[in-house]
Amino acid sequence: MFLASRNLCCRGIKLRTDLLSRSIKHSTSATMPFRHKNTRRIEGLDSNVWVEFTKVAADPSIVNLGQGLPDISPPSYVKEELAKVAAVDRLNQYTRGFGHPSLVKALSQVYEKVCGRKIDPLTDILVTVGAYGSLFSTIQALIEEGDEVIIIEPFYDCYEPMVKMAGAKPVFIPLRCKSDGNSSSSADWVLDPAELANKFNSKTKAIILNTPHNPIGKVFTLQELQVIADLCIKHDTLCISDEVYEWLVYKGNKHIKIATLPGMWERTVTIGSAGKTYSVTGWKLGWSIGPEHLIKHLQVVHQNTLYTCPTPLQEALAQAFWMDYKRMDDPDCYFYSLSRELESKRDRMAQLLKEAGLKPVIPDGGYFMIVDVSTLNVDLTDVGEKQPYDYKFVKWMIASKKLSAIPLSAFCGPETKKQFEKYIRFCFIKKDSTLDAAEVILKNWNKQ
Amino acid sequence: FLFHSLQAKMSRPVQARRLEGIDKNVWVEFVKLAATYSKVNLGQGFPDFPPPDFLTEALTRALGGGSHMLHQYTRAFGHPPLVKVLAQFFEKLLGRDLDPMTNVMVTVGAYQALFCCFQALVDEGDEVIIIEPFFDCYEPMVKMAGGTPVFVPLRPNPPKDGRLMSSADWQLDPAELVSKFSKRTKAIVLNSPNNPLGKVFSHEELGLIAELCVKHDVLCISDEVYEWLVYDGKQHIRIASLQGMWDRTVIIGSAGKTFSATGWKVGWVVGPDRLLQHLRTVHQNSVYHCATIAQEAVAQGFQRELTLYGKPESYFVQLPKELQQKRDWLVQSLDGVGMKPIIPEGTYFLVADISPFKSDVPDVPNSDEPYDSRFAKWMVKNKGLAAIPLSAFYSEAHKNNYTNFIRFCFAKEEATLKAANDILQKWKQEKTS
Repeated sequence: MFLASRNLCCRGIKLRTDLLSRSIKHSTSATMPFRHKNTRRIEGLDSNVWVEFTKVAADPSIVNLGQGLPDISPPSYVKEELAKVAAVDRLNQYTRGFGHPSLVKALSQVYEKVCGRKIDPLTDILVTVGAYGSLFSTIQALIEEGDEVIIIEPFYDCYEPMVKMAGAKPVFIPLRCKSDGNSSSSADWVLDPAELANKFNSKTKAIILNTPHNPIGKVFTLQELQVIADLCIKHDTLCISDEVYEWLVYKGNKHIKIATLPGMWERTVTIGSAGKTYSVTGWKLGWSIGPEHLIKHLQVVHQNTLYTCPTPLQEALAQAFWMDYKRMDDPDCYFYSLSRELESKRDRMAQLLKEAGLKPVIPDGGYFMIVDVSTLNVDLTDVGEKQPYDYKFVKWMIASKKLSAIPLSAFCGPETKKQFEKYIRFCFIKKDSTLDAAEVILKNWNKQ
Repeated sequence: FLFHSLQAKMSRPVQARRLEGIDKNVWVEFVKLAATYSKVNLGQGFPDFPPPDFLTEALTRALGGGSHMLHQYTRAFGHPPLVKVLAQFFEKLLGRDLDPMTNVMVTVGAYQALFCCFQALVDEGDEVIIIEPFFDCYEPMVKMAGGTPVFVPLRPNPPKDGRLMSSADWQLDPAELVSKFSKRTKAIVLNSPNNPLGKVFSHEELGLIAELCVKHDVLCISDEVYEWLVYDGKQHIRIASLQGMWDRTVIIGSAGKTFSATGWKVGWVVGPDRLLQHLRTVHQNSVYHCATIAQEAVAQGFQRELTLYGKPESYFVQLPKELQQKRDWLVQSLDGVGMKPIIPEGTYFLVADISPFKSDVPDVPNSDEPYDSRFAKWMVKNKGLAAIPLSAFYSEAHKNNYTNFIRFCFAKEEATLKAANDILQKWKQEKTS
């Protein structure tokens, strides 16, 4: 029997504990079956294309053009800043939760210049664990059950599970090739305005925009952004704008921030990434920029998920940003020099692929290139597993050619997988020796 | 039609309902106050002394080394060298074999480990037992996951001989604890050593919690971030090593607390694959990777500790020794001016009863704010000494249960603790004169 007295002393507790203990032991019959499965919010979200393909490509004998990971060195001053910071004691302890002061200040300066509007470093910016963390904070803050979120296909794969984890319904709309399947440029891939308009309804809480686009490399034009903006304003829809590749645009193209279009600042959260800006994906720092009335909700999510991001990395990043901020009018600014470096890699990659008989889609931005592999007519019908053609092709290519890529159907919703299964994605932010090794493979492709 | 649907949309708040009731945060306010007013900051829990040299050297080595690939993504569930050494370490501590790939996951601080636990395991309608006083994030995290927090207090039993209370004198009432378990109880959050009291749960106390978990098939989220900070020869006991507990416990740890580097934000979970698999799903859909270079340096730190385990040069032996001295110093300091510290068995926090100083901060009847919170704010503004009110660690309903306690952090340089003593002495003198 349990004694409910509140008057306890140490001995009393021990006695009571013993009595309870014995009572519990006697009342427990057979061990209960383990009922602890996953929560509903993560049902079906456990598999992941990266887990599958990064494992396969981890073999060092494979030329890895799959995962979007630079094997070029970050600029030396970025590495030096981190080394300097390591020596400063107080930078090893907690900093401001929503973003290290010197970093949010630097970000506000850079983006004020780009956007042409005042950005408050404390209320309009949140620093997160990579752009991934920004996407998560934005979606958790603003999306819930009953909402619909428009996702443009192909899409960076995390958008779909994140929307689902928030309890909402993803509504897909594909980019379609306007030149009847014969695409040579990312600009050939467009949204059908009427089709897009049809996707909007009273439940549409947000649309996720990714420009420059992963995987196709499309840089949305002003007109295209205007169509999206008009619909957002008409339906009072938010825009989550993933602009991690914002500096990586090639000649003849301009990255335009949808938040700068009239009526859009107040309904847009713009996401950026240190990993992509400075070739330091392993620093895992990103940011969300937007109006206070939206960012404050992201801050609430952040203070209830991980609270602060690492201090030394934020300080080093802030210093790097100051250096490039000062030379934003100079072509040597890393924001522009990286893009020039990548353009020549892009062109080299495209050339190699064409020579091997493949049809690359030349990207206007980003560091990925999609390639139509159907022209090779590789027969994989005998390959056992029921997987889309591009999955089978990549696995075959890894095994027989020692070259890896990512299948495009990983970036599509269920209805569109068929449309994209003849494409695979290559990453070209790779050092010369990696591209040399890829060249050897591609040149020897047909000699088997 | 469009107009009406727009009206409906605009009348709804823009933010998701999961944020309801979790927007307030005590730290935002108190950190700002400390930054503005404090001359001596014993508030927020972080050391003002540097991390050990071997750790910062490990970072410098990693940066200086040939591989710039340490600046790129590593394995999402944890940098291989780190999960390997954590597995080795915890194998020793738990006395069981661990697979670094499935029984360990690295997180962005213990904070994100807690988040993964609640999101992975707590559904709408689930109850989660939280022992008060508690590290404040447990409650909003449970709520954000749609769960219902169920609170059970540690109750103070002051010693009859007039000596200072110890954190051991704050105990759960076993019958009260039993009554909190229901059909809907999904998990209990255990924090030992406990922040803010510094309590180190005894074998008997853990045994009771364990039996209830087994009986009711309840999970245990065991926040053990202060696992190395135990004093007076006490032992930190890992509840996962008790019978029936490994299969239902997620152990949370922190490099920030272990290596005095809170700003690195490297934490981890250790547990059975059938629970960790769900944490991995949350992790891969929320942050995915943790920063590589910090993980590399922490791995090296652990390697060093593995070779020095149990030896006097081990940081895990030296740090608690150092902190115990600081604890005793602060205890003396507070006792010397009439504040009554509760001597903590562990952590780097202590809670003190500030009753003799209450006359400086008159009570305001019908105030929404708990007295200790007003006191702490007055103290930082007028005396330049920052501390955190105990009510910050209680649920809304119980914030006024204890009005006279504030929490001090003593992971501070000697100079800081001396300066705190000066402020307290001066204050006392002002009161007596």
